[in-house]
Amino acid sequence: MLVRFWGTRGSLPVAQRADAIQAKIAQALVAASGRTFADEAAAAAFAGSHLPFSTYGAYGGATSCVEIEGADDAFIVCDMGSGLREFGIDALRRCAAGHARTFHFFMSHMHWDHIMGFPFFGPAFDPAATIVIHSGHLDTEEALRRQQEEISFPAPFDWLKATFQFVTHQMGETFDAAGVAVTLIRQHHSHDSYGFHFNRGGRSVIYSTDSEHKLDNMESEAAFEAFFAGADLVICDTMYSLGDSVSLKADWGHSSNIVAVDLCHAAGAKQLALFHHEPSYTDEDIARMHAETVRYEELVRADRPALEVICTYDGLEIAI
Amino acid sequence: MDWELERSDGRLVGRPCGRVDETTWEMFSQVLTAAVREAADGGGLPLVIDLTGLDYMSSRGLRALTMAKREAGEIVKITLAAPNDRMREILAISRYDKLFEVTADAPPSGGPKA
Ligand SMILES: [Zn+2]
Ligand SMILES: [Zn+2]
Repeated sequence: MLVRFWGTRGSLPVAQRADAIQAKIAQALVAASGRTFADEAAAAAFAGSHLPFSTYGAYGGATSCVEIEGADDAFIVCDMGSGLREFGIDALRRCAAGHARTFHFFMSHMHWDHIMGFPFFGPAFDPAATIVIHSGHLDTEEALRRQQEEISFPAPFDWLKATFQFVTHQMGETFDAAGVAVTLIRQHHSHDSYGFHFNRGGRSVIYSTDSEHKLDNMESEAAFEAFFAGADLVICDTMYSLGDSVSLKADWGHSSNIVAVDLCHAAGAKQLALFHHEPSYTDEDIARMHAETVRYEELVRADRPALEVICTYDGLEIAI
Repeated sequence: MDWELERSDGRLVGRPCGRVDETTWEMFSQVLTAAVREAADGGGLPLVIDLTGLDYMSSRGLRALTMAKREAGEIVKITLAAPNDRMREILAISRYDKLFEVTADAPPSGGPKA
């Protein structure tokens, strides 16, 4: 399987402003001072090997949308955040090259940041496309229709040309989606959210975003440890520091980087992907959070095998 | 994890020893809550958690500290004392050094008197 991140930001899309770009350019110039480069390719090679990702790259600002490649003749996509627009453009390109026009969506929940990309999803206008929307909620279709009512958006849901199917699943039941075995878990979040376990050929990916692990209900985490057990990759909501998540931001429905590490350690997972980044974070803030999470994993690892901690960004691909 | 609780100089001092993780946090939480109640019953004695003997605690232990702080309310002031280097890093990464007062020195032990 190949996991491709189209949107990794939490709550609200963000865009880099000029001052952020200017700071990156200034850092690059300082790092390169005294050197000369024959051409842009030579400069790019230097930048790629000498500058941190937060300077030479960017984490991006599109909201939750994650593609999992590896199903039989179908796309698999988790959530419809603003990253879905880019995915839709790329999917149309792949469909034109012969990819099947079947889409399986898995909805964590229908908060705005997880559905806002849908009105801009090109394949929904394709009469040859089949779009199956899987969720644990009963009101998924209502949420998608409502955001395209005239007061919110000019093109109503009924104008879409694809064939739609909405499927509600029960917790704990494993079902098949284009050759991938899928299981849900209910998560603590306003109006509930669901995590998904995807398994194909003994390889497993977990998508667990917008999930608060409550202080006064730590016993319930055994269920998540079991759900994450032995996973090759766990994509986790790591929006806040633990300190914030138990004080100022308690009950906001999100979790912390270090609780994610502890859950993955207890579950024996192999890789943790930090996800649903706080929109007020700069690229440097996200890079710092990543470095701190890597360090925390070392500090509490004890005699367990190492857990690889990956920080997601828009455009990242992880092969499983 | 081992735990000792001692009353000296008008305060309660709790001493966890070993590590607090997913296997020991429940015991840590229980003894902490009991210590907070004892401090409250004692008229609001300050409670010092002496971390000298603690290897480290994971998020479970940190969250148990927050539950103890909620239990303590305005009545019992909880401070953390003498974290080792590893624990000091964990307190910084978790931002718990902003939620709790952390002192570098351990409170004097009641120990055997001369
Ligand atoms: Zn969200
Ligand atoms: Zn949400």
